[in-house]
This record gives sequence, C-alpha cells and structure tokens, in this order.
Amino acid sequence: MRQADCRHKWAVANKRDGYLVIEGCFHCGGRISFFSEEPFPPREDYREGEHFWSFLGGYQATKFDLQCEHCDHLVPLDDVMALMLCTVCDPQCEVGRRAQQESGGRTWPYVALCADTSHAGGRCTSPEGIQALTEYYNSGLRGAAKKIVVVPCSLRRSPDTCQGIVLADVGLTEMY
Amino acid sequence: MKVSELVEQAGLKTFHRAGDREIRGVYISDMVSDIIGTQEGNLLLTLQTHKNLIAAANLVDVSAIIFTRGREPAEDVVALAGRADIGLFGTADDTWTLAKRLYEIGLR
Repeated sequence: MRQADCRHKWAVANKRDGYLVIEGCFHCGGRISFFSEEPFPPREDYREGEHFWSFLGGYQATKFDLQCEHCDHLVPLDDVMALMLCTVCDPQCEVGRRAQQESGGRTWPYVALCADTSHAGGRCTSPEGIQALTEYYNSGLRGAAKKIVVVPCSLRRSPDTCQGIVLADVGLTEMY
Repeated sequence: MKVSELVEQAGLKTFHRAGDREIRGVYISDMVSDIIGTQEGNLLLTLQTHKNLIAAANLVDVSAIIFTRGREPAEDVVALAGRADIGLFGTADDTWTLAKRLYEIGLR
C-alpha cells in the first residue's frame, strides 16, 4: 500500500533501553538532553561553540519509534526525550488552551519534550512524530469519551514554571 | 476477566474503584518510560506509587493498577487516578508471587 493512501495503524518499533542525560550550560543557562545507549553514558564537561556543557543528571529510560502495521512507514521518535502530562497550571500557556479547545471534559494533553528545552536552535519535535503519537495513543483508548492530545513542547509558555507531570524515571533509576 | 472478578478472587485491597474493565493482559514494570510503550487494557503490576505512573497508565489506558509489597498510593495519586478512571489496588505479596497467583486464577 502507498504510504500516502494509508490509514496508518501504529505500533511500537525499535524499542531500546539506555539513559536520558541532561546537561546544562553555565554560560547561557541553557539545558539540553540526549538519549544514550552506551553502558556508561558520558558525564564529562565539554565546550561546544559558546556553550560549556556540564552533566546535570541522568536516568534510565526506554525509547521507541512508531511503525505502521499496514504500510511499514516508520516514524523515528529520536527527537522526543519524554512525554509530559499537562496539568493546565497556567491559563496563559498554549498547551492548556489547546486542551480546553477540544470538545468534552476528558481531553488529556500530553507534551512531547524535545532535547532543546530553550528551543534556542529553533527546533522542536517533528510534526509527523506528534501526529503519529496522537494517533497511536488514541487508537488504544477504550471509548470515544476520552481523548489524548499530544503537542510539541514549543507551545509551553515557560519550562521553568511548568508543573506538568513528566513521564520519566527521574529519581527511580538515576545514573550511579 | 473483569477487574472486579480479579479483585474478588485475588483478595486485593482497594484504593480506588473505577469502571469495571476487561483485562486484556498483564504487564509488569517499574519504569514509566517503559509503560508508555505497552498496549491498552493491560493490568499493570508495579512497585511505583507516584503520580508519574498514573500519567503513564492513563496514556496507555491500562485496565487497572496493582501495587505490590504493601505499597500504598498517596491521596493526590488516588485523586489523579480518579480523574483518569483507573482502578487502584494493592497486595502485600511481592510481584512474582502475585504474578503466579494471577496465572493460577486464569489470567494470560
């Protein structure tokens, strides 16, 4: 089947285990994260252009991609570091607004967090990944009353004040 | 098997009773980043009792959650499970012992 004509049925593919590593730059205050499949992820400080990245923390994580069972189209989710449940803590935040625009009271907004929290590079999670995640999680719901909406983290008003519940194993499986 | 039947047969402690779901399988995990890659309808067995777990379980629409080894969720965790309509149950057994018991009861 041609991918363009396919009504995708997504399934988890390329499940992989590793560490989610968070680094911070003391120069600009920026934060980045990346997924490492190395047995011992790097913890050394290093310079990258004007940035001086230092290890802030890391913990075990599982990552996966989505692949269509009909047409085999693969959507890599390398740019998604974690998902976060929005608690609609800030009426000015676009994530909460998006959720409230949806019909009914059982819409659950989840934010796909990208590697560059500050979005200094102008990039965020891919629209294709966002769409595939939304379709995948809604396809598994038991009834029409509940709806999952996945949005990119660039819609967040502020990562510093955000009170969302991050679906990551912080504290549980921290690097030793 | 329905969640209510399982709770009765396994003698589970109830922290929150939600809509009576059909159990489509069993998944054992203590990592939320692992749970979000599972399928809908699974019964989740875990040691974790924090809110992150409920947020993950809601995303994959689990049939219910059983906390093992006597772990008990805090009030805010139960409240979030209530909003998500997820049943929360507990047992003093460790996860392995509970898994064997679920198999004997008939869950596959």
